[in-house]
Amino acid sequence: MEGWGGVAIMVALGVGFGAVNVALSYFAGPRHPTPEKEAAYECGMPPVGDARERQSVKFYLIAMIFLLFDIEVAFLGPWAMALRDLGWPGFIQIALFFAILAVAFIYVWRKGVLDWGPETDPDYVRPPKPGPAVVKRYNYGTGN
Amino acid sequence: MNGIDTVGPQLSVLGAAGLILVVDALMPQHRRMLPFIALFGLIVSALWTVSWVGRDFAPADITTFDGTFSLDQYSAFFYFVFVGITATVVLASIDWVNREGRGQGEYYALVMTVCSGLMFLSASRDLITIFLSLELSSIPQYILAGWGKDKRSSEAGIKYLLVGAVASSLLLYGMALLYGATGTTLLDGIGAYVASPEAEANRGLLVLAMVLLMAGFGFKMAVVPFQMWVPDVYQGAPTPVAAFLSVGSKGAAFAVVVRVFIVALGADLLSDDWSMIFAILAAVSMTLGNVMAVSQTDIKRMLGYSSIAQAGNFLIGLAAVSGGDERFTLGASGVLLFVAAYAFTNLGAFVAVIAISQRIGSDQIKDYAGMWRRSPVLALGLAFCLVSLTGIPPTVGFWAKLYIFNAGIRADLGWLVIIGVLNSVVSAYYYLGVARQLFTGGDESTERVPTSPSISLSLGAATLGVLVFSIIPMPLMSAARDAAEVLTK
Repeated sequence: MEGWGGVAIMVALGVGFGAVNVALSYFAGPRHPTPEKEAAYECGMPPVGDARERQSVKFYLIAMIFLLFDIEVAFLGPWAMALRDLGWPGFIQIALFFAILAVAFIYVWRKGVLDWGPETDPDYVRPPKPGPAVVKRYNYGTGN
Repeated sequence: MNGIDTVGPQLSVLGAAGLILVVDALMPQHRRMLPFIALFGLIVSALWTVSWVGRDFAPADITTFDGTFSLDQYSAFFYFVFVGITATVVLASIDWVNREGRGQGEYYALVMTVCSGLMFLSASRDLITIFLSLELSSIPQYILAGWGKDKRSSEAGIKYLLVGAVASSLLLYGMALLYGATGTTLLDGIGAYVASPEAEANRGLLVLAMVLLMAGFGFKMAVVPFQMWVPDVYQGAPTPVAAFLSVGSKGAAFAVVVRVFIVALGADLLSDDWSMIFAILAAVSMTLGNVMAVSQTDIKRMLGYSSIAQAGNFLIGLAAVSGGDERFTLGASGVLLFVAAYAFTNLGAFVAVIAISQRIGSDQIKDYAGMWRRSPVLALGLAFCLVSLTGIPPTVGFWAKLYIFNAGIRADLGWLVIIGVLNSVVSAYYYLGVARQLFTGGDESTERVPTSPSISLSLGAATLGVLVFSIIPMPLMSAARDAAEVLTK
């Protein structure tokens, strides 16, 4: 435990400085709350709606395809580093691995998982033209 | 070639699965070919295994991939069983899949993936490989169980998934403890540690790990008290899938349990404990399965409960394993013999159920009445398989029961054998009750129940297997004994 005293003092100083300042402003500062003061300011927008929104299932498909290629690279790197040690058996093993990935790739390609735009979907119906745009405005600082 | 060719049997099955997906994606007009690609892959796999058996197979088992995997007589025995099961299931599925229409490539590819997982499972000699193989075979099974479009099938899929996830986590926990206690994941290494004097100090930890392993595998073996998912999943899942689950997953679970408990935990320090636990589980499974099966009106539920009871019969062999070397082999080979006999008998019964229920659109036992007049072939096949499941001489079911009861008596488990015999009597009531319904009763309906060539072939293959081994059971028995001897060496 020798030599760690300095570290302990440093940690105590760091934590103490922050804690003392927050405590001082909490106990000693004047407080006259108004709705404007309570509102989020400078660091963000007022929250709108729920964070748990419905997501398009396409996001999950894309995530899964990403995994496919990610794993490919994750295995390819180490194999390339150890290429000479592994020799032909290693090459055959990585070739088998690639064959499996190729099957997966052909599958997602032909099943239309890579067609991300709505136009390629035969069942797609173009929605009716929207009316005049309604832009919701937030009035900051007026209290509503 | 550092072992790639020892996994050839699995690779050819997996290769067929990949080919099926590619053909389905690139050439949808040739979809009718898909089951034949699957069968071709299975035939290649069987031939590859045969070529190993013909080569320098006999003395030392071929251990590859740093000892995590071996192609020995034990795994080869199960390769043949699983390839046979999968081929029968593929044949029996063709009609159903064609009628269902959607996802044909995916269906066969998933079935083949399960098959390769089961084969890997029976050949693993390492905890991590065992877990990976188990998941490789389980995850496609969850999907397959939920394959049907109705609510019941979705229920079956979800239920199987949740129960399977719990089982996997228990199993992993047990494996982690086992690794912590012994410092290795190789079954041989664990076995050496358990047999060594220093294991005494760690006995508590080892027993805890052993119980967790039992629970994890217990779900897959479908023995009491981990049996509650069985009837619901068998009833809800599409019938070909239920047939696959009832023999494939159960057989592989017993394959791996016999290997793990003999090779890794077989030393005297633990074997008396697990032998006693397995004996009690066997008694409870047989009794509960049979008693519940008696009151069932749905034939798939009845087969579900009866499969729990049959798992109890398997466990007699496992309970008889502990102790001297002679009994060691006798109990283990009893399990192997029973797995093979049960696989083809139960599969035959299920294939007949597939054919009949596809036609009459009902799984109720009362609708099977008078099936003899409507389709003599199906009725005879189903009745024969049910008689063999009961264990009436001279069917293969009888030989398997005789063998396993003999192993039980040699291991001083006379009480367990008496319970087993009494349970056989109970099971005769409902098995033969269905068989009687097939030939008598019914509403005099004489509408024919035609069978397609693929179903006939599948039923024919299963019942022919049962018939041949009923008449000459010796080859199967000696194969089971040779396979079991590998473990005790």
